[in-house]
Amino acid sequence: MPIFGELAAESVAARLPTLPSFDAPAWTLPGAEILQLAFEVGERTRALLPRAMHPAIPAYATWVVACYPESPVGPFVLAQLRLMGRAGAHPRGYVLAAYASTPDAVRGLREGWGFPAALGSVALRRYHDRVVASVARDGERILEAALVGPEPISGADVQYIHSVVLARVEDAGRPSLTLVQIDPHYTFHRAERGRPSVSTFDRGAWHAEGLDLLHPIAASLCACDTDLPQIRFIMDPETPVVRGTRRIR
Amino acid sequence: MKFGLFYELSVPRPWTRESERTVYDNALEQVKLADELGFDQVWAVEHHFLEEYSHCPAPELFLTACAMVTRQIRVGHGIIVCVPEFNHPIKIAERTAVLDILSGGRLDVGTGRSATWTELAGFNANPDDTKKSWDEFVRCLPKMWTSEQYAYQGEFWSMPSRTILPKVYQRPHPPLWVAVTSPGTELDAADRGMGSLGLTFGGFAEQEKKIAEYRRRIQLCTPVGEFVNDQVSTVNFLYCHEDDEVGRSRGRGMANTFNYLATQLTSVREAFPARSYPSLGLLPQLRRQATGPEANEQAGEGLCLGGPARIVNALKRWEAVGVDRVNFLLNTAEAIPQADVLESLRLFAREVMPAFAESKSPAGSSH
Repeated sequence: MPIFGELAAESVAARLPTLPSFDAPAWTLPGAEILQLAFEVGERTRALLPRAMHPAIPAYATWVVACYPESPVGPFVLAQLRLMGRAGAHPRGYVLAAYASTPDAVRGLREGWGFPAALGSVALRRYHDRVVASVARDGERILEAALVGPEPISGADVQYIHSVVLARVEDAGRPSLTLVQIDPHYTFHRAERGRPSVSTFDRGAWHAEGLDLLHPIAASLCACDTDLPQIRFIMDPETPVVRGTRRIR
Repeated sequence: MKFGLFYELSVPRPWTRESERTVYDNALEQVKLADELGFDQVWAVEHHFLEEYSHCPAPELFLTACAMVTRQIRVGHGIIVCVPEFNHPIKIAERTAVLDILSGGRLDVGTGRSATWTELAGFNANPDDTKKSWDEFVRCLPKMWTSEQYAYQGEFWSMPSRTILPKVYQRPHPPLWVAVTSPGTELDAADRGMGSLGLTFGGFAEQEKKIAEYRRRIQLCTPVGEFVNDQVSTVNFLYCHEDDEVGRSRGRGMANTFNYLATQLTSVREAFPARSYPSLGLLPQLRRQATGPEANEQAGEGLCLGGPARIVNALKRWEAVGVDRVNFLLNTAEAIPQADVLESLRLFAREVMPAFAESKSPAGSSH
């Protein structure tokens, strides 16, 4: 049996958002621009992954920085750090932390899907030889990262892995913790690939203690239409996913 | 139709020196028995770093051991990763020639390019280049086996004129195969006159379509070797039991274990957007076939899990869609006790093989 994550969900409960229900309506997010940077990371990250999940082989993490010009809460930019793993047999990215650029987006993401989102200054800027993502919290820069040397590729070459977040819920009147699967759809219009580069990374701000960037994998930038669909699956964070998954709809 | 074995050599945690050795010892015992029972081939993969799923980085050594304890069964060295960071072409030519000699001319050579980020990044290889280096390697290899002197200037490797020794035992040379996982690779095999070594299970209709196109294309091929190998081989699980329900249940457990371990690895496409890996590759395909909507159909018809009659029916259907050979995965992570694996092989030989003894010769032929 593959090894499992080692995170006791209760140990991070205090900072998790509370989901009032699993019935938040879907968000349509047309015209999005999504930067993804992937790095292999150290095995110590197993301590950050819920015990229901398996780490990927090799362990790797992705930053996903998305600019959404249209949404039910207006334009916003969202940055996430995800530790990649497996929910049973399925690749999934466990969201360690997220920063959104508007208060409405933060509230909507926390209450709708359980994103561990906080308010930050998030920007995506294009230069002649790179696309730069920067994130600041309380005026302090906590991420400066880039796709370097963009080259056109086909959107069909890009595969986005679904996310899971850990959130507090009221389940049958009792407070509990649950993993929520977030599985957007994508229609690609344009895609580029380049090298990932990170110059500033505040591990504490991303709840990523022990996450060392060991080996760059790839970076991509895609223009696409996407969404945040209604929640379909939730999982017990302490039980192997093959036994602890519940279908909501 | 001919039957073979296919080894990934998966080792469950916790790993001990004895658990690694037990997996290898059990496999050798199975191969020895399979040889006695009339199986035609044994294949062993080349994989690196694939925790639990495959602890088989040196198939040429395992296959040499197989050759030493058997008399008839052919040894399939595959899938040799034709990427320079993994294998130098000269070393491939030399070690396959030695294996062909030691086995008395029983070698088949499978070629491929790896489908996982886990492996390619481990060797610091560029996924964008693997298809091109594979193409270069497979065009060189037969000439390295057969030419007195050989020199080469290429994009991925070069050498001045030398005598590559020893030469292969078989004349003109061992059959060449291509590992087929990505859609369209079967056509790459056809265009080069190489056998299609299918590594995904697929549905009957999908396979039939692929095989028909492969057969059409190979008629027009420019072979890289001195003869055309136009055989189509697929992989399947095998657990044969007198009680159909027991066979299905235990076999399904083994197959699910295999698929579960496979999906823990990182395919190229999952992490690295690349045109050279247009499909999700072997691993997600296995996952889909295990858990997707077609899983039940696979379990009921395509997989060789259950009683002899069910397995005969499954193989007759594969034969009808044009498959020449089926290579079987017998176990995964030692999920099935060794005694039961051996009994499954005996039962298969006793009650399934005779149903194919009178069938027509394989549609393809390597000579």
